[in-house]
Amino acid sequence: MQITLKDIARMADVAESTVSRALNNKPGVGEDTKLKIIKIAKKHNYRPNQLARGLAANKTNMIAVILSEMDSPGNIEIVKSLEKAAEKNGYQIILCNTNNQTEKEKSYLTLLESNQVDGAIFIGGKLVEGHLLRASFSPDNNIVLVNRLAEENFFTSVLTDYSQGVYKAVGHLLDQGFENIALVGGEDYNLIEEEKSAGYKAALIDHGYQINEDLIFSIKADRKSGYNVFLEIIEGDIIPDAFISTSELTTIGLVEAIKMGGYFIPDDFAVVGYGDNILTSVIDPPLTVLSEPVDALADYSFDFLLKLINKKMKDQQIKVLTPELIIRESSISKYN
Amino acid sequence: MASVTLEHIYKRFGDLVAVKDQSLEIKDKEFIVLVGPSGCGKSTTLRMIAGLEEISEGTLKIGDQVVNDVAPKDRDIAMVFQNYALYPHMNVYDNMAFGLKLRKFPKDEIERRVQEAADILGIEQLLERKPKQLSGGQRQRVALGRAIVREPQVFLMDEPLSNLDAKLRVQMRTELSKLHDELQTTMIYVTHDQTEAMTMGDRIVVLKDGVIQQVDDPLSLYNKPNNMFVAGFIGSPAMNFMDAKIEKEGDTYYIDGDGTFRIRVPEDKEDHIKDYVGKNVVFGVRPEDIVDTNINHDFEVKEDNSFEADVDVVEPMGSEIYLYLAEEAHSLIARVEAESTAKTGDTISLGVDLRKIHIFDAETEECVF
Repeated sequence: MQITLKDIARMADVAESTVSRALNNKPGVGEDTKLKIIKIAKKHNYRPNQLARGLAANKTNMIAVILSEMDSPGNIEIVKSLEKAAEKNGYQIILCNTNNQTEKEKSYLTLLESNQVDGAIFIGGKLVEGHLLRASFSPDNNIVLVNRLAEENFFTSVLTDYSQGVYKAVGHLLDQGFENIALVGGEDYNLIEEEKSAGYKAALIDHGYQINEDLIFSIKADRKSGYNVFLEIIEGDIIPDAFISTSELTTIGLVEAIKMGGYFIPDDFAVVGYGDNILTSVIDPPLTVLSEPVDALADYSFDFLLKLINKKMKDQQIKVLTPELIIRESSISKYN
Repeated sequence: MASVTLEHIYKRFGDLVAVKDQSLEIKDKEFIVLVGPSGCGKSTTLRMIAGLEEISEGTLKIGDQVVNDVAPKDRDIAMVFQNYALYPHMNVYDNMAFGLKLRKFPKDEIERRVQEAADILGIEQLLERKPKQLSGGQRQRVALGRAIVREPQVFLMDEPLSNLDAKLRVQMRTELSKLHDELQTTMIYVTHDQTEAMTMGDRIVVLKDGVIQQVDDPLSLYNKPNNMFVAGFIGSPAMNFMDAKIEKEGDTYYIDGDGTFRIRVPEDKEDHIKDYVGKNVVFGVRPEDIVDTNINHDFEVKEDNSFEADVDVVEPMGSEIYLYLAEEAHSLIARVEAESTAKTGDTISLGVDLRKIHIFDAETEECVF
């Protein structure tokens, strides 16, 4: 059975309040007594009951992490990182997946509204709708949005500047001497993909190049489309010398097709992929990628939420983070 | 464009009734302002119209459609709040367009709407700029632009100017009125600031404790308040109120302040007051309807419309002077011409413009005239 505060008090022959003060590192306990109490607690593997703690402080020490899509690799990385940050601060997370469904989101929101959690972090998803807007009016509802936009009210948010990421990638490729850079992006009508494309165009213009619409490709974000687009490109009039691919799966297909065609990376085509994972560094050659700033997204969003919970957030905030460009062999020119 | 109709609307939060039996017809293309002190239910009413709060009882219509159970996004409204966000990494164009993009509007349609909104708001030349390169007023315009591009049937605005400094607020007031003229769309605007309400609204709804006190155009509200609350809330400095009794001597009726002042009831108002003889009333007079008798005025000052008072404080405002006066047991404010030479400590003679006085029932606080 789990040892309680009361048991420790009995064993140390002190009052329960003394044990509590000692374990919470509060003043009013002699050093010897404190050491004795900590020793007993360690020996019996004492862990405070978070629920009881929560009841006393009117807190649950739980936060809801509400994902719009479970199968997006970036989102999972953010969750992992969030969990670490939460644990460090004595919080546990409840993971919810809405599959981009409004009704599911509404039902998870009740966790927050009925005080079953101290706050909620929403990751990704559609434009903020009425139910979330309404929840935001109550100062007791601590909400942080990650990579999600709202038209009306001000939500404390942490966002990725996708356009800046691609901007950096273009700059890097130009520095390496590649001048015909193709953008293999997602389908039209996707704001994030549009931002990436805007970053691509802005970088070319800022570096004094013209935009060639024939080098911009909008395809489905899967491996097969990545493969096929390369076959299409090498049949075209303008053959690029570098690719920026904006999704993980497309990058895999693209690299596959380049290799199958007997071409070399980066000798024939430089490649900058999207999303950093185990494979990107061991693939031959190791891939240069734009990596979502997952740790920073998690750290900032958790930090903001904690401040909101503890009423220490003076003004609501928006933090914009830029994807990191991790440079490996696939984009380093050997000849230019 | 559409009308908005509230029929016997209630909002209850547990035992608390935040909005009581509100009925209101907001006409198509009207600029209506909901005004009242905090807790009067103005924001709750707005949020019910927006669909952000459920309606406990009653019917809400936008146009001819009952929308009680229609989701906010399907109500064809756009909202602007005091607290809005411009995304720092997006330029002005994208800050206005991202909502349409996420709603998957065609590109050329987005382009047309953003250009049009920018044109109306006078921010065409700022479309490429980032929010940090904008002034406070320009940012506010972008937030408005985000609502305008949705081309809604009704705009709902909840204190959208509260975060701006005083000077900018005044400027934006005018701009919003102009914007309304140009867009010709129904606007429902919530504010706690009666000056904002008076300067912007075609009609004003004054609320207190969840109950509509009066719905009127600005001048009628000022000149003919329904009750003491409206009389005191609208106008700055506020109307002076003094306890009094109605007395009759011969054929003349008087407002008697327990011997401290005695003001004649104008003949055309006598009919209203006949039943109040011997009863307690509240005498109300606006600061600008009290004159320093040493200065020119456009009405006759006699014994039965004047009184003497001690000057407590003189507040020169430039074009006029506020005199804080003590008259026996009463303290009141007079807004007199700048030529007044009254000084603190003086005892001066003041005249009351009988055409502008008000009497309220002391019990119900309703206006008698």
